[in-house]
Amino acid sequence: MIGQHVGYRPRSRSSWAGRVPTPTFSTQADPEATFGFYSSPQLGAPQAASSMVSLRGVSKVFPNGNLVLRDVNLEVRPGEFVFVTGVSGAGKSTLLRLLYGAEQATQGTVTVDQVCLFSTEGRRPYRIPPRPLAMLRRRLGVVFQDYRLLANRTLGENVAFVLRAQGLSPAEIRRRIGPTLKMVGLTEKRDRFPHELSGGEQQRLSLARAIVNMPVLLLADEPTGNLDPENSLLVLQILERLNSFGVTIMMTSHDPYLVERAGHRVVRVEGGHLYDMR
Amino acid sequence: MQSLSRFLNKTRYLLQETFLGLRRGGWLNWAAVSTLLVLLFLVGISIELSWGVDATVQSLGGQLEISAYLEPERQGVDLQPQVTQLPHVAEVKVITKDQAWRSLLLDMGIQDEAAIETQLGDNPLVDALRVKADSAEVLGEVAAQIRQLEGVDEVYYGDRVVEQLAQIQDMLRLGSLGITGVLALTAVAVITTTIRLIVMARRREIEVMQLVGATAAWIYLPFILQGCLFGVISAVGAWGLVLGSQQLLQELLEKLIAFPFLKVMQADPNRSEFWFLPLALLGMGVSLGTTSSLIAVRKSTGR
Repeated sequence: MIGQHVGYRPRSRSSWAGRVPTPTFSTQADPEATFGFYSSPQLGAPQAASSMVSLRGVSKVFPNGNLVLRDVNLEVRPGEFVFVTGVSGAGKSTLLRLLYGAEQATQGTVTVDQVCLFSTEGRRPYRIPPRPLAMLRRRLGVVFQDYRLLANRTLGENVAFVLRAQGLSPAEIRRRIGPTLKMVGLTEKRDRFPHELSGGEQQRLSLARAIVNMPVLLLADEPTGNLDPENSLLVLQILERLNSFGVTIMMTSHDPYLVERAGHRVVRVEGGHLYDMR
Repeated sequence: MQSLSRFLNKTRYLLQETFLGLRRGGWLNWAAVSTLLVLLFLVGISIELSWGVDATVQSLGGQLEISAYLEPERQGVDLQPQVTQLPHVAEVKVITKDQAWRSLLLDMGIQDEAAIETQLGDNPLVDALRVKADSAEVLGEVAAQIRQLEGVDEVYYGDRVVEQLAQIQDMLRLGSLGITGVLALTAVAVITTTIRLIVMARRREIEVMQLVGATAAWIYLPFILQGCLFGVISAVGAWGLVLGSQQLLQELLEKLIAFPFLKVMQADPNRSEFWFLPLALLGMGVSLGTTSSLIAVRKSTGR
């Protein structure tokens, strides 16, 4: 039932609940916390190994003539954790924005979770219509550097807002909020308002909002950009735990220490090109 | 069962969000509703008035006759079928010169039958036709046609009154059309601004909603519904005002404009016209409100 609502199809990974990594850092977030509501009969069903994100020959030129991406190719497999690095203004955010349809490519083909967002391969350029885009977005989670929380709503309401926007019933929403807040260690502050939280807590709340609909792909745009090292590690750790449940993660960062420490695949954006670093 | 609960869920969401929009609108709601209410009230009043004038003209038209006097040698009965066949002619009555002479002599006080009989030989009068038209507006037209018939000497009809009434009717129509147009534009502008301000106040929420895959309909339907609600409230209020002001209007017409025969239609729930007015107001209010909110959200429906 849950799967039907958000189109969740686990890919070649075991349950989120199945693998809980041993925490590397001491953390406020409960390491045992899992999505209790996540249980699907198709768990572990083998699926064709297709890519989660695919960019083929993608270029992006802004209307002012600024060329940010030049004939870029990228394949991200389901379940991967990918860091996107590069100096600021290199096009990291643009790359992510292409993936959730906030930006449109100028050339090439963009495919996310087997849904084509944009393509110039046909005779006419194809752009995904609004409704399929909305349906795709229900399977994605997006996190921003500036959190983008709703100031006049409590933590719980901020998270519930996502599910309400997708038309879920109040009972279903109530059922999902608890585990999600637990996952990011904010259960106690459920009735507080965002401005009563620290920066790290706010970012964790925005993470909770991004994962409450159980995305297959999480796009995090500089989620640690405004945080101190400790909170950055905490956020990274939550992302890694999600990753261990099978969620594909793409995260931009210009913090070399964090990138180095995490030890995941690294893609670097520079001068409009993508370089696979590791 | 599942679809029912989904439907209820959607309905609850829509109502909650619409109510939230109303709360955020604050006094702007009042501005939108009152503008629309004034517009609908004036439209209602002018519809009532034009009905009144129409009815008056109609009833007067039935009474007004065209008198056609024939040339001396002509017989009224010869021309009667010809006139009857003219368009818009309802009734044709022949007054022979004998009848006319008799009634004239009677009017002059000559009672003596014998005297009348003797006088008839020297009857100086002519045959006349009394023609009734089926409506007042066409009196002039019919008169002109009769005038052109061979054998007709002179044609008279109460053209002054009818022409004045027709002028009032035209002015009323033009005036109400002009006022309605201007006020409709104002109402659309005010409602559009109201809705747009509320959309702007919720821009951040809308951004997040778009990001997490809410469909455009899901996001914007509450705003459309709010505009629609403005229309409903205004229409109900305007109709109440129209009903309440009918008596007042009647008195005003009688005293100020000095047209005692002008009638305002009295409310009678048994007649279909009684329901036409509220339905027209409701339709106009809802369509204006919905159109305005559509205009307001149209530009915001980016990605």
